[in-house]
Amino acid sequence: MTYGPSAGQLVRPPAHHHDEPYVPVFTGERREKLDVILSRYPTRMAALLPALWMVQDRHGWVSEHAVEEVAQVLDLSPAYVKGVLSFYTMYHQHPVGKHFIQVCTTTPCNVCGAEDVVKAFLDATGCGELGLTSDDGRFTVIEVECLGACGFATPVMINDEFIESVTPELAARIVAERD
Amino acid sequence: MSETTGPKMVTLTIEGRTAVVPEGTSLIEAAKTVGVLIPHYCYHPGLPVAGVCRMCLVDVEKFPKLAPACATTVMEGQVVHVHSEKAREARTGVLEFLLINHPLDCPVCDQSGECELQDYTFQEGRAESRYEEPKRFNPVEDFGGDVLYVPNRCILCTRCVRFMGDVAHDPVLNVSERGDRAFIGKADGHDLTNVWAGNVVDLCPVGALLSKDFLNKARAWELDRSASICTGCSQGCNITVETRDNTVVRLKPRPNEAVNQYFMCEHGRLDYRWINRRDRLDQPQVRRADGALRVADWEEALDAAADTLRGRRVHVLASANASNEALFLAERLMAASGGRGWFRIARGAEAPLPGVPDLSLRAERAANATGARLLGFEELTGTPAIAPADAVLVLDDTLDGELPAGLVEALVRGATLVHAGTTLPAAIAGRASVVLPLTNHTEEEGTFTNLRGRVQRFLQSRTAPGLARPSWFVLGDLAERLDASAGFALPAEVFGAMASAHAAFSGLAYERLGLRGLPVLDAEARGLTVTDAVSA
Repeated sequence: MTYGPSAGQLVRPPAHHHDEPYVPVFTGERREKLDVILSRYPTRMAALLPALWMVQDRHGWVSEHAVEEVAQVLDLSPAYVKGVLSFYTMYHQHPVGKHFIQVCTTTPCNVCGAEDVVKAFLDATGCGELGLTSDDGRFTVIEVECLGACGFATPVMINDEFIESVTPELAARIVAERD
Repeated sequence: MSETTGPKMVTLTIEGRTAVVPEGTSLIEAAKTVGVLIPHYCYHPGLPVAGVCRMCLVDVEKFPKLAPACATTVMEGQVVHVHSEKAREARTGVLEFLLINHPLDCPVCDQSGECELQDYTFQEGRAESRYEEPKRFNPVEDFGGDVLYVPNRCILCTRCVRFMGDVAHDPVLNVSERGDRAFIGKADGHDLTNVWAGNVVDLCPVGALLSKDFLNKARAWELDRSASICTGCSQGCNITVETRDNTVVRLKPRPNEAVNQYFMCEHGRLDYRWINRRDRLDQPQVRRADGALRVADWEEALDAAADTLRGRRVHVLASANASNEALFLAERLMAASGGRGWFRIARGAEAPLPGVPDLSLRAERAANATGARLLGFEELTGTPAIAPADAVLVLDDTLDGELPAGLVEALVRGATLVHAGTTLPAAIAGRASVVLPLTNHTEEEGTFTNLRGRVQRFLQSRTAPGLARPSWFVLGDLAERLDASAGFALPAEVFGAMASAHAAFSGLAYERLGLRGLPVLDAEARGLTVTDAVSA
């Protein structure tokens, strides 16, 4: 399936697997961590979202192989896991850059110049276009809806890191500082 | 069945009509009982209720807001308005949203003419669209099996997802993504190859899931439809035979709670091409003095057939797809002369539909093996005991290639053979004295008995080729010549004679079978009840 780009949505690269041979996620320590999570819920199905987070944490994205593994571990059908995975835009169904840059462009940020911040990130990272990954595989830039920091426009999230009051100049510096 | 012992009944008013239904019935089903169809998409009586399409919103007095008729159960004294302005307006709004990304490509859509989106939009949708923006586009996807997915037409009712998950227990479909990007997704590497998967095409209320087999073959309004019974196995699924220009183009399941609910399997659904075959027997043939089979008229052929059988013990090799009527008349010939009857039956793997009790693609792949057994036929195992002084009546088109050893030996040593069928197998052609062309089950009417002893009617859906005649008619005429009994003018008369002669069928009348069928007498005592694991 192909789609036009929209806010918060990745432009999908051509379908190909970057995860062969697939390294299972739920072994050793992570398996134990999942067991702890499972003990908090009445059903295995309820642990699906945390399980998918663990996969994304390990691999950076959730591949078809990972869907099969999660389905098997939680005793669900792969179709069901895929349905949940694709419902939430914060799970990546395709590989993304090492630094996943999410720029808020909702109304207040937009008024404060978020568009320029987005452009600065695109230029500095060399991504060129929203949702695409830079040639060196380091960066992906997307727009997201409200990050909940309207008083500190423009907020940006890079992986789990939250940065407030980002300007185009600051954007270039942030990119330059990353490895 | 009386109301005092049954479930508590609830009385309510729907569109000014009084409905009396059991407690717990949904409004949508209650409305059906008084002839009111509440528009709906996601609801289907054979599936769990989802309540996602919002198309069945109705106005219930004293309710603060509109209620989905599929997920609202009846209450005593309720007053329901299906076509109040408020309800109509809501559904018009739902339809407008459903059509936002719908391509409106009805002229090239297979579903056109039997599409619920068309029907309800015509009934209560807006005449014109207000949507001017570009529509979302997704390419067509091959779901494997016989199923094609056209996502642009999909209204996301999730009937297919629920069927595969809750009924077929093969959850390979899902709703992927969300909002206006949502589509029906299929798990990678899992195709719709389940033998029951084709039902998602019937369940789809729009043209999103299509049968590859039927793709671009005919428009819905060009088809003639007749009630029939599937001959794929001994389950006896009720079906509709759909023909165009006297050619069968599609088989569809016909609802029958007692047999197949709303479903049929791919084995039965796609096995129809043989019905249309052109190399049919269409003229009677008689072996002449020069040793060759030559065309004859019916009178001559029937006389010759009677001469071939007269004075001999008549054995019958019948098809397990012959009607009860034909088998009954054949059995009378056997019984009168002291002969025996055999049938052969193909077998395959049993494939149950887990979500429906006692519905399965059965191992015995013929429609009427139970009827044959009840009427005194035995399954042919080993060598049939046929003496050189006997006669054989073959009612089995599939008897070809290696003929049963005992039969060949008997024929060589003087036994005679009459073949009555829709085709003339090569192995029989050289040995038959008389060949009588019969109609197949779509060209005649009659009854089959399914494995639970349910006697079900099938109706004629096509005209027969050439001079071919219905099996009951031909065998009746043959009997008339052999024992001076009266012939039969209607299959109902044959059925009546069968009901008088055979205890299992006693009490049944052709006219009372309807299109849902009735069980034979003492089906339980005859071992025809549920005994296998399928029912569990």
